[in-house]
Amino acid sequence: MPAHKIKLAAAVVAAGVAVPAMAADGIAPQKVADMLHAVMNSDRTVYTRLVVNRLANKEGVIKASEHFEDDKALPLPAQMFRFGAEMVADQTEEFTYSLLSLWPVNKQNAPKTDAEKEGLEYVAENVGENWYGEEELGGQTYFTAVYADTGVAEACVSCHNEHKDSPRTDFELGDVMGGVVIRIPIDG
Amino acid sequence: MRTPLLWLLWTVLTLAGAAAVGAAVFIGGDRTPMLLGETTGVHHQFETACESCHGAEPLSSTEDALDALNESCRTCHDEELKLSDDSHPRKKFRDPRMADYWAKLDARACTTCHIEHEPEITRPGAVTLAMDYCIACHADGEQDVRAERESHAGLGFETCASAGCHNFHDNRALYEDFLVKHADDPWLLDPPVAANAAALRAPDARFAKPVGEPLTLARAEAPAAVLARFPQQELAAWAASAHAETGVNCAACHAPRAKDEAALAAEWSDAFDLKACAKCHRNQAQSWTEGRHGMAFHKDVANPRKLDKQLKSLGLAGLEEDLPAAIRAWLDDPAPAPQMTVAAARIPMKAEAGHAVLSCASCHDPHAPERAPARVETCAGCHDDDHTKAYFGSRHHELYLAELAGEGPPGSGVGCADCHMPKVEDPASGRVFTTHNPNAYLRPNEKMIRPVCMDCHGLGFAIDALADPALAANNFKGRPAVHVPGIDWAARRVTTGEAARQ
Repeated sequence: MPAHKIKLAAAVVAAGVAVPAMAADGIAPQKVADMLHAVMNSDRTVYTRLVVNRLANKEGVIKASEHFEDDKALPLPAQMFRFGAEMVADQTEEFTYSLLSLWPVNKQNAPKTDAEKEGLEYVAENVGENWYGEEELGGQTYFTAVYADTGVAEACVSCHNEHKDSPRTDFELGDVMGGVVIRIPIDG
Repeated sequence: MRTPLLWLLWTVLTLAGAAAVGAAVFIGGDRTPMLLGETTGVHHQFETACESCHGAEPLSSTEDALDALNESCRTCHDEELKLSDDSHPRKKFRDPRMADYWAKLDARACTTCHIEHEPEITRPGAVTLAMDYCIACHADGEQDVRAERESHAGLGFETCASAGCHNFHDNRALYEDFLVKHADDPWLLDPPVAANAAALRAPDARFAKPVGEPLTLARAEAPAAVLARFPQQELAAWAASAHAETGVNCAACHAPRAKDEAALAAEWSDAFDLKACAKCHRNQAQSWTEGRHGMAFHKDVANPRKLDKQLKSLGLAGLEEDLPAAIRAWLDDPAPAPQMTVAAARIPMKAEAGHAVLSCASCHDPHAPERAPARVETCAGCHDDDHTKAYFGSRHHELYLAELAGEGPPGSGVGCADCHMPKVEDPASGRVFTTHNPNAYLRPNEKMIRPVCMDCHGLGFAIDALADPALAANNFKGRPAVHVPGIDWAARRVTTGEAARQ
């Protein structure tokens, strides 16, 4: 074989090894989303069980309220979650997340995009599974993951069932009540 | 022969004109001729300090320039928006899931709804959109307000922002649960007393702790020559003043940097530096610069451009020394007036007060023995509009006079300052102080409901009173002629279980 063709073949082989190696340096978006969700979910479960449920429902020493400053009450778990998401948005554009539901108390937390609708319906019908997909918003492609959000404490189901704006009033402990949506911008 | 000369003349004049404009834009000088259109109410006080808002580098892209512009809005207005529990904060719209709304109304940017220099399309609140803008996001599918609320079924979107209904930013007195909570308030509470005002008027409440020992004239720390100028009873009056009592001596305001007797005489100034007041009265001084009385002193208003710095940034360092004095003077940035005169105001003012400049001393006499702060007479000394003139003889005025005479309980009197400069809590320290920014609670006027009106009145009555423009203009002589039904709709939604059915 002529010398230049051997060099060319060598270069192609080298690239074929190098490129996958470079991709393997990053972590796949799905894995990143799973890791983020593990943290978000745990933190909010801790707040819901050990703070809200314990102090507001069990001990009755303080209430939880959407207007926590005016009412001198605890912020709601959904608000704790949202405040965290807003703080993250101040620090990085590498990901965004929100808590949504097919039966939201506040209509602005209803699914807006097709991926959100599909994801929320999927995790509600397929208990124990997550939904992963891609969508384009505002000219940017995102890896979108939807995780089921379940009622982990009595505080969750009783408050939602009794709330005057809740479209559904038959939640039970352990039911899927909504979903956590995590978005990671990716190259399209 | 004429035509080439005319060409030459035209060329020279064009180049000279371009140079003049270029100099004003990039170097220095009065930019008033370049103002596109009248600026809004308070921005006009620094309208020639363009860099206060237009902070982008010269020749930036439109995108960068807009970003810099919006950032400068936030520099001054972010804190107030946070305190007002903004219903439409920027962070709500940053999330990519809101991307569809960006095309309809990009609420990530202040400039979408608030554009300066466009007086023909500027409405109250400095809004430059058609008043039915809510339709952009609240008219479709699950967000359709007309479907989500029976009470709103037939309403037009131009009525959303009607008085007493909804504000885009500050809904602290208008959110649904608050309306429901106060739906049964009587028009007059019992007792109708402003608790914060009463607390601050208590004899020893005004000072957390004395700065030092009460002063005698011997320790006043003023040069003998100065003291000799004043009659004995004036000096005695000062010695009985609150400042003397807390150990704030003459030097503290009139020669703050003097370290010994000799320096005291050398550095003595009859006029005092406003920073002297601000050293102790921090909250008051800062809030004063945030309103129209003291806006010229606001820390974020751009400083006048310095000729040498501007030339240096253009790579022409040192050129200013070669310029004739006349050109140098012409290129000098006129500072925004350090103190606003009464005549510069855009609302009716008394002609005889026109020359007066505004400072702490306009309303407060630091030498006076009386502790009663300025609440009515000082305001009426300059303000000459219908609302001010109508105050005298109103029920609020009667209560003010009664409290002064000792016939009404502390906190029951309602002077100008009781409504327009309410006692509020400093979010950082939790201490209650009198805000010196009369504009913070002025527009939309529902902002006044919680810190002011609800001390004495029920929510429904307060909403109705503020929603009646004739009543506000005649300074609340009489009862409201309008009723804003929102509070009834909110209450009905709960009691009839209407919410559950939707």
